[in-house]
Parts: sequence; C-alpha cells; structure tokens
Amino acid sequence: MILLPIILPFLSAVLLGLLGSPVQGAIANAVVTAALFGLTLAAWHFPGTGLIHADALGLNFGILTGFIGCTTALANIAYVRGAIARISPRLWRLYHALFQIVLGACLLGLYADNIGLLWAAMEGGTIAATLAVSLPRTPSALEAAWKYFILGGVGISLALFGTMLVYLAAQPALGPGLAAMSFTALSAHAPWMDGALLTLAFIFILFGYGTKAALVPLHGWLPDAYAEGPAPLTTALSGPMLNLALIAILRFRHLLQANLHSGGAALAPGPFLVTLGLASIILTGFSLARRRDARRFFGFSSIEHSGIAAFAFGIGGPVAIFAGLLHMAVHSLIKSGLFQALIRAAALRGSTAPGHYGFSHLRGLVHSNKYTARLLGGSMFALSALPPSGLFVSEFLIISQTIQRAPWLSLPLGLGLLLCAAAILRNLGPLMFAPAPPHTKKTKAGWEMHLVTLHLAASIALAFFMPLGLYHLFMNIAGALQ
Amino acid sequence: MNLTFSLAHLMGGILLLCAFAMLSQRRLAALITLYQIEAAVLAAAAFWQGYAQHELNLYFTGLITLVLKAIALPFALREIVRRFNLTRAVENTMPMALSMILGTLLIGVAVLVVLPSTMSAISLTREDLAIALSIVLLGLLVMIARRSALAQIIGFLSMENGLVLAAIGMPGMPFVAEFSVALLVLLAFLVVGIFLLRIREHFDTLDVTGIEAIERRGR
Repeated sequence: MILLPIILPFLSAVLLGLLGSPVQGAIANAVVTAALFGLTLAAWHFPGTGLIHADALGLNFGILTGFIGCTTALANIAYVRGAIARISPRLWRLYHALFQIVLGACLLGLYADNIGLLWAAMEGGTIAATLAVSLPRTPSALEAAWKYFILGGVGISLALFGTMLVYLAAQPALGPGLAAMSFTALSAHAPWMDGALLTLAFIFILFGYGTKAALVPLHGWLPDAYAEGPAPLTTALSGPMLNLALIAILRFRHLLQANLHSGGAALAPGPFLVTLGLASIILTGFSLARRRDARRFFGFSSIEHSGIAAFAFGIGGPVAIFAGLLHMAVHSLIKSGLFQALIRAAALRGSTAPGHYGFSHLRGLVHSNKYTARLLGGSMFALSALPPSGLFVSEFLIISQTIQRAPWLSLPLGLGLLLCAAAILRNLGPLMFAPAPPHTKKTKAGWEMHLVTLHLAASIALAFFMPLGLYHLFMNIAGALQ
Repeated sequence: MNLTFSLAHLMGGILLLCAFAMLSQRRLAALITLYQIEAAVLAAAAFWQGYAQHELNLYFTGLITLVLKAIALPFALREIVRRFNLTRAVENTMPMALSMILGTLLIGVAVLVVLPSTMSAISLTREDLAIALSIVLLGLLVMIARRSALAQIIGFLSMENGLVLAAIGMPGMPFVAEFSVALLVLLAFLVVGIFLLRIREHFDTLDVTGIEAIERRGR
C-alpha cells in the first residue's frame, strides 16, 4: 500500500508524457497531484515494511511534499494557460511528466528505508530536475541545465561512493546483505560499525547530498536553475528536493553521532555541518545584496535557509534538530507560496518567461494588484524571519541552542542572519510601493492567489500553534535522531 | 585464492593506469580510446569478481559494462567528435605537468585515507577501494583540468568506472547491477546533453528551437 503514492506519480508521468494538450495536461496533473496528496496523508495507516518502510520523519515530510505539489499543480494551470505558446505541445507533455517524476522521486527518497534506494531517488530526481531546467530551450537555460547536470552528477557520484562506504562500514556489525543498507538496522547497530570508515563515508555523503541541498561551496547550480527553468517546476516545487537532501544528511549524521557516543572511532559530524552551514548563511548575506533578478535572489535565499538547517543539525541535541526540521518545513511552505505569488506578479506585468523577474520590472506591485502585492510582500517579510513569521520560532530556537552549546558560534550566525534579513527588507519596499513602470494597468488576481494565503497561514500555524500531538511527534523524531 | 587477488589487483592497476594516462592526453580521440580500454578492463574485472564471489549479479554488471560502456558509449562519443570536427587538441586549464603532479598526489591521498581506515575489512576490498577512490579523484581532476565539455564528460565517465570498481569489490553488496544501470542512465543523459550543447555552439543560434518551430507548423 505504501507503494501507491510512489507508483502513482511514475505511472501518471508516462500518461502525461504521451497524451493531451498542454491545458488538459495541466488539469490532469493537478487532479493526479491532489490524489497524491490524499495518498501521502493516508500513508500514515500503512507505513509499509522492508525496503520501503516509512518512519515518522519520512511520513511528515511526505505530507508536506504532497501539499506543496498539490498547490503548485493547481497554480500551474494558470501558468500553462499564460505560457502556452512558449514551448511546443510535446515539451509541455514532457514538462508535466517531469513534474510527476520529481514528486515521485522525492516521495521514494523520503519513504525508503534503504540507503541504495535513497540514492536512486536522488539520482532520478536530479535527472528530472535538470531536464526541466533545460525545457525553455534558450541558450541560457541549456547552460544552466548543463551546470546543474555536471555539478549534480558529480554530487550524486560522490554520494554513491559514500553509500558504498557506509555499507562496508556496516560489515562488522551486520554482515553482507540487505540489512547493512537499511536505515533502521544501521541506526540500531551504529555502535558496532567501523567508525573510521563511517567518517570517511560521511564526508562523501555530506559533499554528495550537500550538492543537492545547495550548501556553500556546492551551491553554484541553484540560482541559475531557479532563474532559467520553467517557474513552477524549478522554483515552487524545489523545496521538497532540498528537504530530501537535508534529511538524508541528517540520517547519516545520526549514524556517526550514535557511533561516537558509544565509544566508536567516528569523528563528530557537528563541525563539518556547522562550517558548511555558516558559510552558506554568510555568503548569501553578501550575495543577496547584489541580485537584481527576483528568482535568482530567492534562489540565494533558499541556500541561506538550507545552510541554517544544516547549521542546526551541526549544533546537535534534540531541540536544535527539532528546530532544524521545523525550519525546513516552514521555509518550504513560505518559499513555495512566495514563488507562486512571484509567478503571478510576473504574469500581471506581461510575461512569466525567464528574464521578466527583474526587481526593476516588478516594482510598485500595489499599482497592479493589491492582493498579489500583499501576498508577495508578506511572503518576503516572512523570509526575513521577523515575527510573526513562522521562521522566527525556528531561528529563535536555533540561536538559543547555539548560545547554550557553542556560544562563540552565535556571533557569526547572528551576523549572517541579520545581513540576509536586511537584504530582503531592503528590496521589499520598492517592490511593493515604488512608482510602477509606465503603462501599468490594474488587473485582477486569479483564484489561485488564495493558495498562497493558505501557504502563509499554514506556515504560521505550524510554528506558533503546533498541535501538541505533532509537537510530541517531532520531538520524538528529533530525540531519536540526535 | 591467490590468483583471485593477483588478477583483481592487476586489473585494478590497469584501470588506474588508464585513468592516470587521461591526464596526459591532449586529443579527444586518444581520451576516448583510453576510456574504452578502461571500460573493457572494468568489464573483465566484474566478470572475474562474479566468478570469485559466485554472484550472478556481477556477471550482469560486467555484461552491461562491456556492451554499453566499452562499445556503445565510445561509439557515440566518436560520432560526436566526427560530426562536430573536434579533432584538434583540447585546451587545458592548467599545465600538463602540474595536473600530473596533482594526480600523483591524489593517488597518494586516496591510499593514505583508505588503507588505514579499512583495517577491519578484508584485504581485497581494501586495495580495490583505494584504487577506486584514486580513479574517482583522477576523474574529477580531468574534469577540472580540461576546458572542453566533451573532455569533461570523459573525466566523468572515468569517475563512474571508479565507482563501479568499488561496487563490484564490496563483499555481497546488493543492487550492484541496479547501481550500474542507474549510473548509465545518468551517463546517457550527459552524452545527449553534450549533443544538444554542441549543436547550439556549432550553429551559434539554438538549432533545436528551429526544429520545434517547424514541428509546430506541421501540426
């Protein structure tokens, strides 16, 4: 039964890839993705066994993936209607097929209880995502896709090497066979694994999956991919893939930590993660100030938030890991909503093609449409993590944990966060209230704008009004993975 | 058992030699030939491991490697070289001597990192793993040292060979054949990707859009 939410996207990818006009494809895509969201919810009742055995962490983020996929697919209908002439019908079919493959790969990676399957899911997701970036077929899109393919391919290869080393490290504890590749068995037997080999494996995995999580210095592909690909697929739907990579790193980090705690020879994983995380936060702080294209700008902001989550995992302890997971969930809700609003804003100004997302082109959004402007502004404000943004809660927890566990790190962390927030807020005012470019007319917002409201509401509810049951669940997950 | 060791090490050594020789070659045709030899030896190594470990999976891996990597992919690469007339020497980003010194250092690093940290593993795996890591690092170096996209791809392909070598040396590892198929899919997309990119560079405008415009009119 757990196979259903994984098989459904791959099956529908085949159908969507072969049949239908672009608009029909978009509608069918939305219907399938809505069904998929239902299945990810229902997966709680049948977590599966063996190779695909979802734990609470995978199930939770599976639901998040389903939700983001569902709203993106709904908003995608309007996008396709507006952009229909830009690429051929055949490429639109490929576009919708890739949409499903990315979703399916994410769910497979989240639900798999096997390091090999996790790797395969990452690989499939990477291939689909790079193909998606190349879809507009403009020279710059092909170049962005090429960059993504080379960097992503090297990352995936390094991750495979790391995966094999984990298997080898598990030999003393579990012996040859499938058990040495199962997360459940590995984390139960982590104390008896070969610590030195496990450390070596973690380095490879950190750099491999770190490429997919866009941690500095492995982030080069992300801003280009965000800026050049077809917007809904490469931006609004990119959050789940980043989450999957971070969760993979978190799981392997746990093996290392468990080995270390029981007297194994593994090195502490914290310093590696903290270094990459801090580098991501500080570098984006400086890069954000110089970006003129909104999609590139928010791409860098994704790197920042990936870095914050990695930093939290590096700090360690149940509270910091809880905060890191919360940060990932809230950030992907906000970011996906933001991109949906951004696509709509660009549509109000004439075109959603790459190159029409310059801040100077979009400025003075209230003069076009108040609702869209408020939502985009609200999402941007939320990204800066000032209250009442949901990110405030997670960042507050992370900072307080840093002060408790590694006080001297709180200074660079705070500085980096401040730089990023300042860069975001500096762009917020002109984008909303500056005089609009000439010939700007008032237009109506589409019904799909309510989805962005839903995203923002969900992010605030998740952070400030988290149900007690969910809180205990997340605390348990974080406790088990500390 | 002794023959198992020495033959496996011999083949690992040849693989490493091929990977290292790639650093010294300036011409794409020579790079492709080196890659072809590397893939053929890798296939032989997979067959040999399959025989030694009595694993049907490894025979399958060897077969895939032989047919697709040693025959089909080099054929496609040569076709690209011929079609786009890429016979001239590839530009380097660093002097040849420097890249070879770096390559030697990388092999040293790989051996120093792998051998001490795998004391508990069986000896065959240890040395195979050191060779595999060297090949992976050398592949990365080739990618850095060459400016042409096709040469970078060949570096990438060589790196994948290192990964498959590591996989077949793992005792009883599941999914080895599946991994090599998954890697091949990645490689196939890379080769197709270079095809698209070369088309674009060659005609200066994006030829593919022209094709699509014609296609739309035809509908």
